Amino acid sequence: MTTDDYRELTLGDLLDRLSANGLAPGGGSAAALTVAFAARLVAMVARCSTVWSDATGVVAQANAIGERAVELAHTDGRVWDEALTALRDAEAAESDDPRKGFALEQKLEAAAAAPLEIASLGADTAQLAALAGERGEPTYRADAAAAAALAAGGASAAAHLVRVNLGVRSSDPRLLRALASENAAHEVAARLRESHR
Amino acid sequence: MSHFASASDAELVRGCRGGDQEAWNELVERYSRYVYAIATRGFRLSDEDAEDVFQDVFTRIYTRLDSLRDDSALRPWIAQLTRRRCLDAIAARREVPADELADEESTDLSDVEEAFEVREALAALSGNCQDILDRFFARDQSYKTIADELEIPSGTIASRIARCLGRLREQLEGRNNEVGGSRD
Repeated sequence: MTTDDYRELTLGDLLDRLSANGLAPGGGSAAALTVAFAARLVAMVARCSTVWSDATGVVAQANAIGERAVELAHTDGRVWDEALTALRDAEAAESDDPRKGFALEQKLEAAAAAPLEIASLGADTAQLAALAGERGEPTYRADAAAAAALAAGGASAAAHLVRVNLGVRSSDPRLLRALASENAAHEVAARLRESHR
Repeated sequence: MSHFASASDAELVRGCRGGDQEAWNELVERYSRYVYAIATRGFRLSDEDAEDVFQDVFTRIYTRLDSLRDDSALRPWIAQLTRRRCLDAIAARREVPADELADEESTDLSDVEEAFEVREALAALSGNCQDILDRFFARDQSYKTIADELEIPSGTIASRIARCLGRLREQLEGRNNEVGGSRD
């Protein structure tokens, strides 16, 4: 089990790796994979909606988002490992060298950039789920609502990681973007849930 | 922009035969990436060998365009010329006859063909469709970013993309129904 490509792992191996006593994958990768699951669920709903003229276009978008989310799952693991290593090095060196401080800051920025994108993908996935839920085959509306709920969960987890990784003020524009994605995804998920009751 | 930019291949060939320099420029512009992609991705030639093939192929197109039987079959003709020059280049490197290299072609060649067909079909769509598909699929922009930059409601982006993909599919299906051939 030496591959770094999560797509090459069996689901069992991936879950084992997630629960292993290592650095990555962690919360960000899990959030990204949750969004990927949601996106593929939307693709399934659209694929089953045979009389919907836009269905194939929705399948293509959902698959593209799913691919990006899997890529981000890997990226998040890598950049978080690097940031953690840099943090430990900085603590061990006890140096005031400003270049090292700058390098560490850059690693932390990168560690926040991935979850920021994951949150955005979560919002897009929820929006696509809403379209599939409203226009797709009614039999699969519950799956569309489930996809939106998963996407909103992934967006929430990712937004939380942006906040923690950056350690920034609540007015930081990156954090605001992540929170906006989280809110947008949750609004859509709630709307779909309500319409299904 | 050249008035040949939106011309069909057959119109382009007629322009080239008539000695129109703009038609030649458009032909090179339209097919240079295609020839280069076959050489580098299809046959995995080095940059240096691919450059030689590129020069040779366009020289042959220039000197042999009259031998093209069906003007609308320009692309398969260029593909055939390029494949032959690539095999010649590989044979020259290995010092074996080109006929013995029939299996050298990489499976990536079908990807090159497909990518080129998609690019051509995209060019036939409206500017709005080209833009929104490029933003989502090539530049990985989110729905919100697309909505903000194009000043359209975010909730309509996914359905707009889906409709543009539908039009792209119609273009591709139309092209695949066209049949062409050449004698070279």
